[in-house]
Order: sequence, then C-alpha cells, then structure tokens
Amino acid sequence: MDYELPSEFDLIVVGTGMIESIVAAAASRIGKRVLHIDSNNYYGGLWASFNLDSISNILNSASNIETNLEVKQFLTENEKIYQFGNDAFHMHTHSQIWHIPEKANEQTETEQSDLPTECIQKEEESWTQEKLLKNSRKFNIDIAPKLHFARGDFVELLISSNIARYSEFRSVSRVLTWLNGQLEVVPCSRSDVFSSTKVSVIEKRMLMKLLTSCVDGDEKEFVGYENKTFRTYLKDRKLTDNLIHYVLYAIAMATDTTPCLEGVENTKRFLSSLGRFGKTPFLYSMYGSGEITQAFCRLSAVFGGVYALSQPLNGLIFNNENKFKSLLCGQQRISAEHLVMGIEKLPKEFVNFTATQFISRAVFVIDRSIMASEKENLTLLLFPPEDGKNPCTMIEVGPLTGTCPKDTYIVHMFTKQTTNPEEDFKHCVERLFGNSKNESETGEKENLLPNVLWSFYYTVPNTVNLDLKNGIPKNIFVCPGPDLDLDYDPAIAQAKAIFNEIYPDLEFLPRAPDPEEIIIEGEDNNNIVTEGENLTDQPIDEATEAVADLQIETSNDHGEGSSGIEQGEAE
Amino acid sequence: MEDFKFLFKVVLVGNAGVGKTCLVRRFTQGLFPPGQGATIGVDFMIKTVEVDNEKVKLQIWDTAGQERFRSITQSYYRSAHALILVYDISCQPTFDCLPDWLREIEEYASSKVLRVLVGNKIDREDREIPTVVGEDFAARHNMYFLETSAKEAENVERLFMKIAEDLMQQARSKDLPRYDSNTTNISGRTSAVSDNSCCSKLA
Repeated sequence: MDYELPSEFDLIVVGTGMIESIVAAAASRIGKRVLHIDSNNYYGGLWASFNLDSISNILNSASNIETNLEVKQFLTENEKIYQFGNDAFHMHTHSQIWHIPEKANEQTETEQSDLPTECIQKEEESWTQEKLLKNSRKFNIDIAPKLHFARGDFVELLISSNIARYSEFRSVSRVLTWLNGQLEVVPCSRSDVFSSTKVSVIEKRMLMKLLTSCVDGDEKEFVGYENKTFRTYLKDRKLTDNLIHYVLYAIAMATDTTPCLEGVENTKRFLSSLGRFGKTPFLYSMYGSGEITQAFCRLSAVFGGVYALSQPLNGLIFNNENKFKSLLCGQQRISAEHLVMGIEKLPKEFVNFTATQFISRAVFVIDRSIMASEKENLTLLLFPPEDGKNPCTMIEVGPLTGTCPKDTYIVHMFTKQTTNPEEDFKHCVERLFGNSKNESETGEKENLLPNVLWSFYYTVPNTVNLDLKNGIPKNIFVCPGPDLDLDYDPAIAQAKAIFNEIYPDLEFLPRAPDPEEIIIEGEDNNNIVTEGENLTDQPIDEATEAVADLQIETSNDHGEGSSGIEQGEAE
Repeated sequence: MEDFKFLFKVVLVGNAGVGKTCLVRRFTQGLFPPGQGATIGVDFMIKTVEVDNEKVKLQIWDTAGQERFRSITQSYYRSAHALILVYDISCQPTFDCLPDWLREIEEYASSKVLRVLVGNKIDREDREIPTVVGEDFAARHNMYFLETSAKEAENVERLFMKIAEDLMQQARSKDLPRYDSNTTNISGRTSAVSDNSCCSKLA
C-alpha cells in the first residue's frame, strides 16, 4: 500500500546522522511538523552500524536518483534546482580485506586483497568467510564508534529528555594503555589504584593526591601553568614516568604538547564520570553506536515526526533569492520553512569549504580479545603517541554487546590522520594482532595474540570545525559528520546550536512524559493528548522524577569499584 | 520496587491502518478511539495482568507511525519478548505484505521471540482474507494465530492474555529470549529488561 507524503512541513531534515536526528527529535518534541527523510535504506548515515554483509556495500549503495527525470517541469518561473550529494564529504574506503579462506579446507587466496595474506588460518575449526558471513546479522559494526562518559553531556541529555528508555548500555570494564612494550590496565577508580600491583605505595599516594587536586584543586594550583604543557605540570609534581604515562595518555587522553589547563579539564571529565555506572567512566550502546541515532528518531516519530527512508531525493528547489523552498521527492514537491541536512547530502553547488583534517579509521574482526581474561571485557585502549604518530583510540567490543557473534571480537581504531589509515595504525596492528604462524611456533595458548579475520580501513573527513554557513542559503543548516571526540559532546553542541537558531527561545528536548503519565491524562477525557504542544505544558510529576533520579544513582550494575576517586581523600 | 514479578516487552508491527493502536488501546484502556489520527506522544502502554496468581506487566510498544514508509528503526525490535504481526482481514494488501514483515523480524528480532499473527477487523463485512488463509500462513511460519476486532472487543483480551501466559511459561522453562540482564539502563525505569525483570530473576 503506497502512501503519499504530506506536502508541507515546518522542518525537513535530510539524512539520519546523529546531529540531524537530534535536531529532528528536538523540533518534533516542541510540536513542529517534521519530515525526516533519507535516500539511504538504513538509519544513521555516516554514524550508522552495519552487519557484515551490508558494510561491504555501503559505498556502492545505489543512490535512487531518477537521472532521466526532467526536473524542470516541477519548477515555477525563476526557480532553480540542485541535486543532492557531493563526493567531498563521504567516507573513503582504503581496503576491505578477508584474512581467512572463503570456505573450509581451501587455501584460496582472498579476492579483494591488495595486501599479502599471511594471516590465513589453518586449523580445522577456524573461521572461514562463509562461516562468518552466515553470522552476518549478528554483527553491528559501527562506522563511527563512540563511548559515553557516565556524567557527560550525552548521558545527561538522554536522561533529561527521557530518550534513555530507547537504549541500553554496557559499561566499559577496563581502560588499557600500551606501556613498556605491553598492554597495561590503567588504574582509574580509587579501588583500582589501591589494588594495582603495578603502582608502588608511594606512587599510589602521589597519584591520588594529583587526581584529587585536578578535580577540586583551587585556582592557585595551576598558576604559572597557563602557557605550559600538562606534561610539565605532571613532571613538576614529581610523578614517576609510569604515573605520567597513565595520567597523560590514558586518563587525560592527551599528548606531550597538550596545554596544562586542557589536560586538567580532560582529567576532570574522566574522573567526574567515575562511580556512576561501572568500574570505568564509560558506557557503550548495546547493538552498536548506530542505535543512538535511532533512539532520537523514535522520539521524533512518537511526537509526530514523519519518517521515510529509501526515498528518491531528486533535488532541492530554490527561489530567485536563493531561499530554499521545497525538495523534490520522486515527483512530489515537499515544502518547508527550514531545511537541515547532513554534510554528505549537500549539493555540489554549495560546497564552499574543504576538509583540511581527516580521521583515519579501521575495524578488525578478530578471534579473541587483545588481552584475554576469564570474563568478557569491554575495553577502551588508549595507545600513546610515538615516533611522530598520533595517539590512537581503540574500542574492543565482544558478543555481549550484541555487535558480533560468539568467539569473535571487534576492534575499532581511530586517530587524527597523518598519512593514511594503514600507515597510521601499522605500529598498533603489529603489536596487538598476531597470525597463525605465531600460534604453531609458540604453542602457548594463553599468550596468543588475536588473529585478524577481516579488516576494513577507511578515511572520514573531519568536518566539525568547518564554517558550514559559508555561502549556504539562510534557511538551510548543514550538519557536520562524525568527529574525533570519544563521546557525542560536539554533536550535541552542534545540534543545539542549529535548533536554537531555527527556534530561538524554545526549549531544547524537554523531558518527554512517561507513558503512565499520558494514560492518566487520557482516561479523564477519553482522548489521548494529540498535540505535541499540550504535552510540553503538562506539569511533570516531581515525585516520579525523584524516583527516576534515585534509580539512576543506584543502577550501578557492578557494585564494586563504584567509589569514585572524586568521592574522598586517599587513605 | 514495583508490584509485579514479570515484565515483558511486546511490540506490534504490520501495515499502517490495520488497527495496531486500536488493539493496544482496547486492551490497555478498554476503549476504541474514534477517528483515524495517528497517536502522538505515546510510546508504549502498560497493563498489568494476573497469570496463575502472579502479576505480569505487559509493556506494549506501538510503531509511532514509522511503518507507513517502511522506516521502522531496528532498535524498535531489540529486547522484544513477543511480537504481534497484524493485518486487516478486509484488506488484501496488508496480508500480502506479511512476508516483508517477517523478513524484517528475522533480521532484527531475537530468533526466540514469541510471534503471533493477528487478523484484525473481523467486525467488518467486507472480508477479503478467509480465516483459513490466515491460519495457514501462521502455521507455515510457526506463529500463534488469532482473529480479533478491536472495535467489538473481540478476542483482544484473549490475545494479550495468551501472550502473557505463553511468556510466563517460557520464562519458567527458561526459554525466553535471553537478553543480558547486566546491561545498564540509564533511565532505570522503563526498559523491558531491567533489574526487576524475569531474566535476572531466573538467571
């Protein structure tokens, strides 16, 4: 049964990336008529997650533009039409390689490979492409993986807007770094610090003292460090090299040149998220980061947003004053006051900026954890900078996150690009992953490095700092793609800025009522509230809210390790 | 602690206009909403029923209109314990779309999810899908089958009670879709599988 889209909206959002989805949710929430539309047949755009089958097709994904359509017939006098899409801001694949044979008992060369395939496995029970692809739908491979600070902007927004009910999270169980030639667990909570065998008693005191002064140290603490690096500060505090490594590269996620105050801010961001949901400050979305954009889309839909994927987007129509009027979907003109769109959808004619920074990214499907232990871990690994290479951030997820099948793990890597993804990660890959040769030679099962089954290297332009207003018609708002931040902080800031520009003075994502509250409302007048605006006016039951808060605070699923460093003095 | 022992997430799918929202509202509120308008601001509805002297809370999720242009989010299907696929017995195209829906269910829902096929609007006199055709389809796809009328309140109670009973039975035999109860629900209140759910109790 085919339905026709309505022809008029307050806001049209093109593309279902993170920022687009937040704006769509925020606008629907305050009662605006929103059309959220995408030519892709999946949610998430440059922020999506894919199964193993579909990730190989993301770049070939057919744009269903009717090229033969005579678009002029849909225009009135003095109108112009521009086609959607540009090549400048898409992701760019470097290689997608199988490191295992296609089928069992075959020593076939991999087909798509550009690199030597020394990683072919030879064991009977080992993975084959066929076997892995049979499990394709158990994969949810993020192309823009994110972690969430337990007290970060994102988690707070999910809770305050009541969008949290659409998603579930797992807490990251360990933070690792590469130190003295091996992987080490970074002690992050107070109990970690004290139970660590890698840190001496004196170091423990020094570390606790330092972290405490970073969190609640007064202004004087950092006087004179305004123009110095965080490293200098740590050195001056007489921290040992190992401690400097933990604080600088892992906790502050900084480099040798990071200014002191920025390092302190980063340290605070880390420490203040401790002790809320687990042993580390971080959460990861069940079923992958791509679920998050969908949570915002669901909220938008619940508040009347119209959703349409796989749409034939044939162009954007402008009047002679260069004002956006309508978009052409198939043969239908759909109009709106404002248009919000993902940067990858922007017509070529409007691309007045070029990305100067790029993000190197890689995904590996491996056959065991990079640092095996009894129970499955969810790991953040902060690989320190070395030899002119930028620090690399890695996230390892296992089957319990619902993103990969049993007996596999996924490792995501990303870093600021210097040359290309293969080069930027080469030193990490060599150290973290092994191949079957090692296995037969050493014979030691316990210290085995994981084998890479499948790898994917790609580049994404970092568009978050571009001036996306340059030459763009006034009623169009362009959303940048994924950035390097570990969490969604810049994305939320961007979405909020766009929302405030379109709807100044209106509330950004006020708390959505709970279903129970609406039902109570509905029973009186036999009629469920049918206007978004009415809902905003409903008094929020403060008691209910207090209960929610309480439950947040007590929903720590790990019990232990919940005493954050910030909660008191050492010893 | 809320007063229930089991909490199940039930999701509805099927073409627009087959009466999904009406079924939910008939069951949870005992009313048949006149007029057509899509419901705004309602995410899911809750009703607590009693099975074998145990309180069972059903959290019933509606599509929020995203089915209209085949754009239901995958996350909608996550963590569902039961799935109701609805068609309109007076509208052949809604029946013809069932295989498409099944494909989507296969792709995104747990393989153990309890699946129910419902032919709605049996109050209508212009039936296009004979009961036996629906029965057949359900049997072939291993689904429980029921015909209902949200308008006349026919079989609606029975539908949801049957689901509650079956899920209880599955829960007792530990055959429920197993969602890891160790996940963090940051809202702490409304997800299908939170700490007071069956999964963590039975595990």
